[in-house]
Amino acid sequence: MTKPIGIVVCGAGLLAIISGCGPGVAPGPAPSKKPAAVHKTKAKKAAFVTIDWAASPITQTGTRQHMISAFEKAHPGIRVKLTTMSTNTDTTRAELTTEIEGGSKTPDVYMGDVIWPAQFGHSGLAVPLSDHLPKSFFSRFAPGLAAGASYHGKVYGAPFFMDAGLLYYRKDLLTKASLPVPKTWQQLVSDSKALEAKHLVKYGYVWEGAAYEGLTCVLMEFLGDQGAKVLNAAGNKVLLNSSASDKAVSFMRSLITSGVSPQAVTTYQEPDAMNAFDAGDAAFMRNWDYAWSNSQTKGTKVVGKVGVEPMPAFAGTTEPGYSCIGGWDLYVNPHSAHLAQDLTFVEWMTGAAGQKLLADKYSEIPTNAAVQKNPAVKKLNPVLSIVPKLRLIARPSGTPIYPMISQALYQNVNAALTGQVSPKAAITRASQQILTDLKGHGL
Amino acid sequence: MTINHLTDRPKFSMQRRRAVTGLWFMAPGLLVVLAVTIFPILYSIYMGFNTISLTTHGFHFHWNGLGNYRLLLSSSLFRYAIVFTLVYALVTVLVELVLGMMTALVLQRMAWGRPALLALLLLPWSLITVISAEMWGYIYNGVYGALDAILLEFGIIHKPIVWLGFAKLAIASTMFADVWKTMPFVAILLLAGLEMVPVDVIEAAHMDGASNWHVFWRIILPLIRPTMSLAILFRVLQAFGLFDLPFVLTGGGPGTATESIAVLGYQVMFQDLNFGPGAAVASSTTVVVLIIALAFLWVFRGMAEEGVA
Repeated sequence: MTKPIGIVVCGAGLLAIISGCGPGVAPGPAPSKKPAAVHKTKAKKAAFVTIDWAASPITQTGTRQHMISAFEKAHPGIRVKLTTMSTNTDTTRAELTTEIEGGSKTPDVYMGDVIWPAQFGHSGLAVPLSDHLPKSFFSRFAPGLAAGASYHGKVYGAPFFMDAGLLYYRKDLLTKASLPVPKTWQQLVSDSKALEAKHLVKYGYVWEGAAYEGLTCVLMEFLGDQGAKVLNAAGNKVLLNSSASDKAVSFMRSLITSGVSPQAVTTYQEPDAMNAFDAGDAAFMRNWDYAWSNSQTKGTKVVGKVGVEPMPAFAGTTEPGYSCIGGWDLYVNPHSAHLAQDLTFVEWMTGAAGQKLLADKYSEIPTNAAVQKNPAVKKLNPVLSIVPKLRLIARPSGTPIYPMISQALYQNVNAALTGQVSPKAAITRASQQILTDLKGHGL
Repeated sequence: MTINHLTDRPKFSMQRRRAVTGLWFMAPGLLVVLAVTIFPILYSIYMGFNTISLTTHGFHFHWNGLGNYRLLLSSSLFRYAIVFTLVYALVTVLVELVLGMMTALVLQRMAWGRPALLALLLLPWSLITVISAEMWGYIYNGVYGALDAILLEFGIIHKPIVWLGFAKLAIASTMFADVWKTMPFVAILLLAGLEMVPVDVIEAAHMDGASNWHVFWRIILPLIRPTMSLAILFRVLQAFGLFDLPFVLTGGGPGTATESIAVLGYQVMFQDLNFGPGAAVASSTTVVVLIIALAFLWVFRGMAEEGVA
């Protein structure tokens, strides 16, 4: 039985009732909604085709429009209408899935998280790009990126820009206290304690510890540093329950109990960590690539005092430590009426021109290998010169049930960070939950 | 209920004709209710009995009987969400009722400035929850929060408290924000009830030597019971749909401490795309809410008749 639309209206409607019309419920699909420009196009005998691109703001609100203008110049036959999505990846997912599963033809192309390919591929929410584009197309991307956007051998997302966990530090404070830039976690702890003891800074290290997707990223880095794993390579066996995982979470908790990190990190998302760091209240911060351009903005207290390095490792292990891979892909809606134009758009945005614009003007890490290596681009974007040094670790997002796995991880680890449960208990419980999820008996 | 003594025929048929005409006028409204309320509820209940897979060609339903409900009952997340939501509803409604009653009694006795105070009281109630939740997020912030700043300034605490960083504290903080927002609504409803209590009855009681305390418990409270029931019903139903406040303020954390049924349902349905179990979560709430509503209406009707008689 096929029910393309009713179900969505239904789910949204019922949740709206029980939630007293909460904000999280995305609007139902609007099958009749078509961009006005389409009608205009027909009137002008198809001088151009308009495609709808749904994307969250990139660095600044003007970035996307700037890229669109450059694209339209290169491809006069295609116009792009921009639909702004939420900056919260989960809200964006809820909105997009509601629209696409309802059969909506728009958006034609959408910008989505790197952790979506399995879930979206599995549920038919994205076009398998590898069915429509030649193999040679995917060789443009930096190694591993296209594989990361694949599910069951098909590539569902075109990597658009990359992100990774980085260590930001205050150059001025370290110089003042004659301390080295930490290469190990142990050193970061001792640096922090020294700086706090000298009253040079309020907190040592700020990071993302709230119960949300960002904590899963931070956790993956610590797990990687300890040699722990969540799942096996095939993604069907839980390996989380180990003493290495316990050590990783215990260390995270110890950052809080020792006063290196404020107790409040258990409620921190990226902007909270950035606020504390930009206000000059923290010596070290774990954040994504975009925090660089943010810390360079005039008006923040730390302009010119910030350095950036790969993440630290535990003493005696390979340096640097792991950086979690983040970033965004471009996906195509399976119901789009303009597949050819959509692919042209994706091709241009991931090609040299689009990627160079993104890296030069907006300091994002390009996914296009040639642009990533381009010395002229590197010069303008200091984060790019560290990218080759990073040791990357991906979240276990190769399975369609990844959101459930991530919830099990961040909810239990957050509980351990706040001291509700012991790190060991949190790991055990998360493992059990993931096992149940894999068996299809989870909620 | 005024029907019983009207049994003569012509009047009855006229009444019936009127009822039919009325029905026609109501039809468009009823249709809308049917489309946006009844249909989605029934459809959700149907979904809850199915395993639903999503493909490019739409949804596929496979009958699963009570499978999804068994899944819910075996899930500690669901059991916790039910308990949390119930306790949350109970505590907030009780506190709102007590504070609301106190506020209403003060308002009733105010000689001047009442309209201004009423307007002020309505301010939190009229704020969109998402906005007030963001605002409370700033107040509770563990580093830059206004609440910590004030408490530190007055020497009540010596280091900042992370209000949303501990399970019990986060639950209490969420409840406080809820009471702040909805207590005025209860107060205003109760005030309307108080205004309807006949003054002469109270005066007579006082003349007979009843103390203020006695008058309140024996006369005022019984007389405003219907209004109170209504306030409780509204609030319990709303508290059961608790979504926006924890969604914005805590995201359900720390851990899953503030994960209400609606937040869980949203997560299962719109993040995990598990439509069958998600629909079962939603349906189970609907059933509980319906039971509460019907029970209340039943009690309320009993009380109303008692009040009339």
